[in-house]
Amino acid sequence: MLLDPTLVFRAFSSELVLLFTTLLVLAGDLVFRPRGQRYCTVVTLGGLFLASLSAVVFRVPEDISLMPAGLTLDSFALAVKLLGFSLIAVIALLAEADNCCQSPSTALYCALLLVAALVISILGAASDLVLILLALDFLGVIAYIMTGYERLSPNASEAALKYFLYGSTLSALMLFGFSWLYGASATTDLVGLGAFLDRGATSSALSLRAAELDYVVLPALIMVGAGFAMKLAAAPFHQWAPDTYQGAPTCSTAFIAVVPKLGGLIALIRLTLVALPAGSSEHGGDWQALLVALAVVTMIVGSLAALWQKDVKRLLAYSGVVQVGYMLIGVATQSATGAAALLFYLFIYALASVGIFAAIIAVTGKTTPVSTDISAFSGLHQRAPWLAFGTLVGLFALIGMPLTGGFIGKFWLFVAALEKGFPWLTGIAMLSSIISIAYYWKIIRVMYFLPALTDDSLRVPIWLSVALSLCVVLVILFGLFPSGVPELFRMAIVDFRF
Amino acid sequence: MQFPILSAILITPLLGALLILVIPREDVRTIRRVGVAFAVISFVLATILWIRVEQLGAGALQLVERYPWIADFDIWYHVGVDGLSTPLIWLTALLMTLALFYSAHVIEDRVKEYYFLFLLLETGLIGVFLALDLVLFYVFWEIGLVPMFLIIGIWGGKRRDYAAIKFFLYTLAGSVFALLAIIAIYFNTGTFDIVELARLQPFAQDVLWANLASWGLWLAFAIKIPVFPLHTWLPDAHTEAPTAGSVMLAGVLLKLGAYGMLRIGLPLFPQMFRYYVLDVPILPVLALFSIVYGALVCLAQWDFKRLIAYSSVAHMGYFTLGLCAAAARSAETQMAAISALDGAAWQLFSHGIITGGMFFLVGMLYERTHTRDLRAFGGLSGQMPVYYGLTLVFALASLGLPGLAGFWSELFVFRGTAQLLPLAAYIGVLGMVFTAAYILWKVIQYVFLGTFDAIRWGTLTDLAWWEKVAVVPLLVLTIVLGLYPAPLLATFDSAITALLHVLP
Repeated sequence: MLLDPTLVFRAFSSELVLLFTTLLVLAGDLVFRPRGQRYCTVVTLGGLFLASLSAVVFRVPEDISLMPAGLTLDSFALAVKLLGFSLIAVIALLAEADNCCQSPSTALYCALLLVAALVISILGAASDLVLILLALDFLGVIAYIMTGYERLSPNASEAALKYFLYGSTLSALMLFGFSWLYGASATTDLVGLGAFLDRGATSSALSLRAAELDYVVLPALIMVGAGFAMKLAAAPFHQWAPDTYQGAPTCSTAFIAVVPKLGGLIALIRLTLVALPAGSSEHGGDWQALLVALAVVTMIVGSLAALWQKDVKRLLAYSGVVQVGYMLIGVATQSATGAAALLFYLFIYALASVGIFAAIIAVTGKTTPVSTDISAFSGLHQRAPWLAFGTLVGLFALIGMPLTGGFIGKFWLFVAALEKGFPWLTGIAMLSSIISIAYYWKIIRVMYFLPALTDDSLRVPIWLSVALSLCVVLVILFGLFPSGVPELFRMAIVDFRF
Repeated sequence: MQFPILSAILITPLLGALLILVIPREDVRTIRRVGVAFAVISFVLATILWIRVEQLGAGALQLVERYPWIADFDIWYHVGVDGLSTPLIWLTALLMTLALFYSAHVIEDRVKEYYFLFLLLETGLIGVFLALDLVLFYVFWEIGLVPMFLIIGIWGGKRRDYAAIKFFLYTLAGSVFALLAIIAIYFNTGTFDIVELARLQPFAQDVLWANLASWGLWLAFAIKIPVFPLHTWLPDAHTEAPTAGSVMLAGVLLKLGAYGMLRIGLPLFPQMFRYYVLDVPILPVLALFSIVYGALVCLAQWDFKRLIAYSSVAHMGYFTLGLCAAAARSAETQMAAISALDGAAWQLFSHGIITGGMFFLVGMLYERTHTRDLRAFGGLSGQMPVYYGLTLVFALASLGLPGLAGFWSELFVFRGTAQLLPLAAYIGVLGMVFTAAYILWKVIQYVFLGTFDAIRWGTLTDLAWWEKVAVVPLLVLTIVLGLYPAPLLATFDSAITALLHVLP
C-alpha cells in the first residue's frame, strides 16, 4: 500500500517539528555555550508550541489508520498530543530553574524532554502491541537517564539503577505477555486482537479449544497488567517509586510523576477500549476484574504507606500511587465516560503535581545538601506567601476539594464508576480521599501553622513563579468553569470501536 | 429582568476578599476598613432581601435564578430563598459584620489573610443557604470548610493545629459520603434539582439504596449539627478558634447541617426519616443523648469557652428533636408537626444570636485575663458591671427564660414533641433542668458572684465602646424577639407549612 506523501507529512508534522527542535537545541547549545541555558529553554518552549500548533492546523481530515506503521490518527491522538506537549512545556520551565539539571548540559536535558514529547505523541496514536511496547520502553529509558542526571550524586545513581532494574524486568514481562497474545491471535494490531478475542477460540492461529485459549490469554493479560502497573507505579509494582522520586533531581521527579504515567495510561485506555472492551468477550470481563483489583490494591497500599512518610518527595511518591488508583477506576469502567474522566483527572493531577514540585525546587534549591524533609517547608507562608498558596491549591486539588479541577475530575470519575455499577469501588476511593487529607495535612501544617526555621525571605526564580502560577490558575479555572471540556474529552474517546 | 439580588449577596463578600488581596500587606487600616465595609454591604443587601421576600411571600421559593453551570453533568447555578433561608442569610451577614468589626480591634497578626478568609467564608455560608442544586449545595458546603480550617489553624489557641485538622477531617468525612449519595440520587432520578427531587422522592422502591443514600446525606448533616456521638470535633474547634471564628462556627456553621436536614434530608427521604424515628428510633434517641449528655458535660466543665461549646451540642439537640417529631407526623397531627419544626427553625436563629453573643463575651473576658478557668474567677459583677449585665441576659436567654428569644424555640419544640413523641418530650425536658443548673451555678455563680480576688482582678476594665457595639445588637435582638416573636415566627411558619405540605 502506498501512502500519499503529503498525507504522511501532515500526519507527522508535529513529530517532525519536535525532531527538528531537538537538533536545534543540541546544535545551538554549542554555538551559544556561555548563555546556552536560557536559549535551550526558549527554543524548547517554542518547539513544543509549534508542535501543538501544527498538530491542530495539519489535523488529518478523517480518522486515518496508518496500518503499516501501527498508528491510528484520531481525535484521541490529537488530545493526547496537546495534553502531553503542554505538560512537558511546564516541566521545561522547572528544568530552567533546577540547578541539578544543568550539568553536564541543559541542552541535553531539554533534548530529552523534547524526545519524550515525541514519544508521547506516538503513544497517543499507537494501536499496535509492538509499537506500544517500544514507545513505553523508550519513554522508560528517557526517565532512567533523567533520574540519574546528577552523575556525581550517589543517591541519584542508586535511584536510577533501581528504576532501571525494575523497569526493564517488568518490560520484559510485558513483552512476554504480548508475545503470548500474538501467539494465540497471530496479530499485533489492537483492532485485530479485539476481533480475535471476540470470535473466540475457533479462529485461533493455534486452533485451540475454548478452555485452552483461556490458559493462554489469562496469563498473558496478567503479565501485561503487571507491566502497566510498573509503568504507572501501581501497587504491588510501586516499590521503585519512593526511592526514585527521592533520589532524582526534583525536576526529573516532576517528570517521572507525570510523563510515564501519562504514557502508560493512554496506552492502557486504547488497549482496553479497543481490544478488551466490556461485554465483548469474557476476556474483557477478566481484564476488568484485573484492573479493578489493581485499583483497589493501589489505593489501599498507597494510602497506608503515605501516612508514615516524613520526606516530601517520598510522600508525593505514595500519593502519586493513590492517585493512579483513582485513575485506574476510569479505565476499569471500560467506558467512554470513564476514559474521558481519566484524561481530565490526569491533566489536573499533573498540573497540581508539577506545581508542588516547582515549590519544592524553590524551597530546597538553596540548601546544601539538598534536604526534602517536610520541615523544609516550615513557615513557608511567611517566607513566600504565593509559593505556599500555590502548594495549598495543588494539595487541595489532589484531595479533590471543590473550586479546584480535582473536584470535577473526581466527581466525573465517580459518576463513571457508579454508572457502571461500582458503588463499593467509589466507596474505597472516598475512604482513601479522606485518608489522603491526613498526609497532605502534614505539608499544610508546617507551611501555615508552624513558624519558619529561618527568617530570611525566599527569593523565587521567575521561571518557577511562572510555572507555579500557570498550574494554579489552570487548576482553579478548570474547577470553576469546566463546561465544554468534558464534552471535548468524550468526543476524543467516542472514535474508538466499542 | 429584575436585579439579581441573590447573586449580588453571594458575590459581594467574594469581591471584598479579592479587593483585599490587592491591598498591600502593611496597610492594615485600609484592609480592616474594606473588610468591614463589604460585610456591612452584604448585611444591607440581606436586609433588603428579607423585606423583598416578605413582600413576595415567605411560603414559596422566591427570586429564583437558574443558569446552566456545568452543562455536561446537568449541574445548574440554581438559587432561591424562602422564609426558612432568608432569616439565616440575614443572621450570617449580621454575625459576620459584628465579628469583623470586633476583629478590627483585636487581630494584629496577618490581618490581610484574616479578612480575606472571613469574607470567603461568608460567601460559602450564604451560598449553602441559597443553593437549590445538590452539587451547588455541596460545593458551597466545602467552600465554607477551607477558610474556617485555616482560621482555626492560624489564629487559634494552643492546640489549634489539632483542632483544625479534626474539624476538617470530620466535616470532609461526612461530606464525601454525601457526595456519593448525591451522585446515586442523580442516577435514580436524573436531576440534581432539590425542589424537583422533593417531588420525585428518590429510591421510593429501593430500600437498600434509600438507606445508603439517606444515611450518606444525614451523616454529613449530623456531623455538622452536631448530633451525639459525632460531636467531638465541636468542643475542640470552638474552644481553639479565635473569638470571631467561634462566633461564626456556633452562630452559622452548625446551622448549615440543620438547614441541610430541613431542605434536603427531610424532604427527599421522609419515609426513611419516619422509619428511623418511629420503627427504629435511632434519631430521637441520639437527639435526646445530645440534649442530656451535652448538658451534663457542661455541668462537669471548668473551661468557660468549652462549656459554651458543649451547651451548643445540647441546644442543637432541641432542633434535632423537633425534626424527629415532625418526621413522625400523620395527617391528624400536622399542626403539631408544624409547631415542632417552627420551634426547630426558631432555635436555629435564636441559638445563633444567643451563642454568638456568649462567644463574644467569653472571648472578651479571655482577652483580659488570659484564662478560661471558671475557678479562677469570682465576684466580677462589681468590677465589670456592664459585662455582667450583658452576660446575664444571654445566659438567661440560653436557659430559655420567658421573655427572651431562647424561650420560644423550647416552647414550640416541646409543644409539638409532647403530642407526637411524648416519651421523648418528657426526657428532653430534663435537659432544660440541667441547663438551668449549669448556667446559674457555673456561669453566673462562679464568674460573677462569690468572693472577689482584688489582687488578681483589681485592674480589670469593663467593656470598651467597640466591644459594646459588637454585642449590643445581639442583645437587642434577643430581647425584642423574646417579647414580640410574631413576625419572625410567621415567616418561619409559612415556609415550614409549605415544606411539610409537599411531603407525602
